[in-house]
Amino acid sequence: MKVIIRTESLSKHYGRGNAIKAVDALDLQVFEGETFGLLGPNGAGKTTTVRLLNCIITPTKGTATVSGYDIIRQPNDVKRVTGLLAESPGLYEKLSAHEFLEFMGALYDVPNDILAERIDDLLQLFELYDRRDYLLEGYSRGMKQKVLIAAAMIHDPPLLFFDEPTSMLDPRAALMVKDLIKQLAQSAGKTIFICSHILPIVEELCDRIGIINQGQLIAVGTINEIIAQTGTKTLEEAFIALTGGVEEKELLAWREQKGAHA
Amino acid sequence: MPTPKWLVVARNEYRTHINHLRVIRPYFPVLAIGLLAIYVAFIAPAVVSLFIDDFIAFILSQVAVVMIPLIMFLLFVYLIILPITYTLQGMQAGQVEIFLAAPINPGDILLGEYLGEVPFYAIAIAVIAGFFTAALSPLGLDMLQMGLTVLIFVVTLLSALWIGTVIAAVVRTRLATSARGRDIGKALSLVLALPMVALMYALMGGGLLEALADPGAGGIVKGVLGLLPSSWGAALILSFASNPGNIGAVGFETLTQFGGLLVFFMAVLWGGLKAASRAYRIEPTTFTASMAKPDGFFYRGVKYVGGGKSFGTLLAALFKEYGRRLENLSRIAYVLAIFVMVNVFFVRGFTDPEGSLVMAQFLFPFLAVFMVGQVAMQGKEGLFIYKKTPTGVERFVKAKLIQGWLVAVPVAAGITIVSFIAISSASFSSFVAYIVLITLLVAANVALALGLALVKPQFSDNARAQMGSLMLNANVAMFVSMGVFIGSMVVLDWGIFNTLLLQNGVIWLMGIVFLNLGKRKLSSME
Repeated sequence: MKVIIRTESLSKHYGRGNAIKAVDALDLQVFEGETFGLLGPNGAGKTTTVRLLNCIITPTKGTATVSGYDIIRQPNDVKRVTGLLAESPGLYEKLSAHEFLEFMGALYDVPNDILAERIDDLLQLFELYDRRDYLLEGYSRGMKQKVLIAAAMIHDPPLLFFDEPTSMLDPRAALMVKDLIKQLAQSAGKTIFICSHILPIVEELCDRIGIINQGQLIAVGTINEIIAQTGTKTLEEAFIALTGGVEEKELLAWREQKGAHA
Repeated sequence: MPTPKWLVVARNEYRTHINHLRVIRPYFPVLAIGLLAIYVAFIAPAVVSLFIDDFIAFILSQVAVVMIPLIMFLLFVYLIILPITYTLQGMQAGQVEIFLAAPINPGDILLGEYLGEVPFYAIAIAVIAGFFTAALSPLGLDMLQMGLTVLIFVVTLLSALWIGTVIAAVVRTRLATSARGRDIGKALSLVLALPMVALMYALMGGGLLEALADPGAGGIVKGVLGLLPSSWGAALILSFASNPGNIGAVGFETLTQFGGLLVFFMAVLWGGLKAASRAYRIEPTTFTASMAKPDGFFYRGVKYVGGGKSFGTLLAALFKEYGRRLENLSRIAYVLAIFVMVNVFFVRGFTDPEGSLVMAQFLFPFLAVFMVGQVAMQGKEGLFIYKKTPTGVERFVKAKLIQGWLVAVPVAAGITIVSFIAISSASFSSFVAYIVLITLLVAANVALALGLALVKPQFSDNARAQMGSLMLNANVAMFVSMGVFIGSMVVLDWGIFNTLLLQNGVIWLMGIVFLNLGKRKLSSME
């Protein structure tokens, strides 16, 4: 199988003496056409990894190739073949959904004759067509998320990064996005890279997963392989076993303090 | 062929800026150009004709030799500060991420952002240049001189705007990625204009204009200003005024000064594009998270003032939330700086309290509004916390009022004491009476400001939206205060003491009414 993403000791360190290791010596391969999930607790390094692979930030050490392009030497080529739904992206709230997608399409050099039709199709797909001319400032969080997903797909890239794709969506919209991701992978042959800490989404969508904690990749494989590696029964138990959790006896300890019953 | 990226960004920036005029957006350029043409052809000459003789006498005088470069310098600095202030008020790192994820060079983003805002600044530049050309045309300047005069304004001010845009982008990169940085940015956005305000106050009332007429002082200022690019074009405009219709007489100056201006513009453009790669990053710039220290003497004192129990804790929490935002502290610093400048440049030499008090009429409502006016900035969710808790609304309003008093009253008392110390003729009893009346008045203003903010809350942490709301409320409070002051002092001729009594009565009454209306609004908010 063709490797689409290959990282080699990819690292991003911050702070004095590079003491903060946001991503540390990441070695990872993602194959063409697969849906890969990067799981990890908050602050584990998921978003930093996605930013590195999209050439938004530069690595401290190591490198990576995306669709055969080097992230350090060929950033614009990498950006052309990837689409990104960022975790907390900035929208131009004073633009309408149509204007924003038009802007994003132009940034990615989508030809004008294709762009107009694609915007309409995407807005219809996400049930936003009737509100296409409303300013984004008036959209709900879920609607904004839909616009951002549409923006990530506007240039129809072969590789899509979704950082917490369903975190702000209602169940109906979340279901639609999950179905869309499935179709993008199965019917359109896209490679999907999902970052999330919502385990059911990852379980449902991903062919393989990686678990990252404190910047280091601590497990990679199919869900069954990871469950088997940790000797647990579910992905949730495997995740907790790998990343640590709160002991059951500690959960109600707060009630035993003086004055807690007041 | 794909559209150039800088044009894509410029179009987007333009659309963002013009969103409030969406209905007329397709016709806006035609409308703007048409209105500017009417202004240049008819309005500017008509306005200028009202004082053309004085203007011509001025432009040919020695004062103009310093004043015109000074005006150009002020406009130059203003156009540098404006985009920086605008950016500092509404910094968002997320939009930078959109650009960074796309195949676009930083230089294209910077150029696009600049070109997108140029049409709006160009309107202001056209108004300024139109005024000057209308004023200079009676001197008999030929078409080339007139054209060059316009170009001098355009090149000088567009250079300033470019410098401001580049600095704004770099500053955004440094500050926008952390909460502390964004707070620093909002704080800076307010105080950045203070040096300009000081210079304008000095010109208007500080005797700077008269000092510049003196050849010695004027010569030094002219020498310093002459080093700045903003003055090169100004010197050329003055040369045109001295040699109307005879460009040959100033050929060398035209070549060197206008040429120098063009070279400067190209140099800053090049330098800015080179700096662009530093202007678009979202790498964290700091990993130092702000930490709260254990409550010290001050917060323990605040808790004590609040009764020491849960209300004291609530009051201290509100104080912490307020005081830890540099933005809030910069607003108080701004009011104090304005007070100092007003007294230094306008009130000097007054021997009775009226002068200082008239100025205070403008400042105290602003101080009050800046203290408590941002009550809803964390959105409805922030206020719902109080709605959810038992008697929360009552306690919140009470705590906010006391918090406002604890800061605004000492500041106002300090301002009043400083004002009175300068008046040697004031007796001790009148001094005490005025202090009491003014601190009561400020307390009333705080109540009114809080009431106004609750009646019409601004649910946004966007600095521009907040500032708009604060200024509206401050102006309402100020006009009430000024209205009563003028009515009592001028119409009724009641004297300053009775006027302060009347003001206290009116503003306390309005404060109580608006506070109750505000409480009702907060209680019924959905």
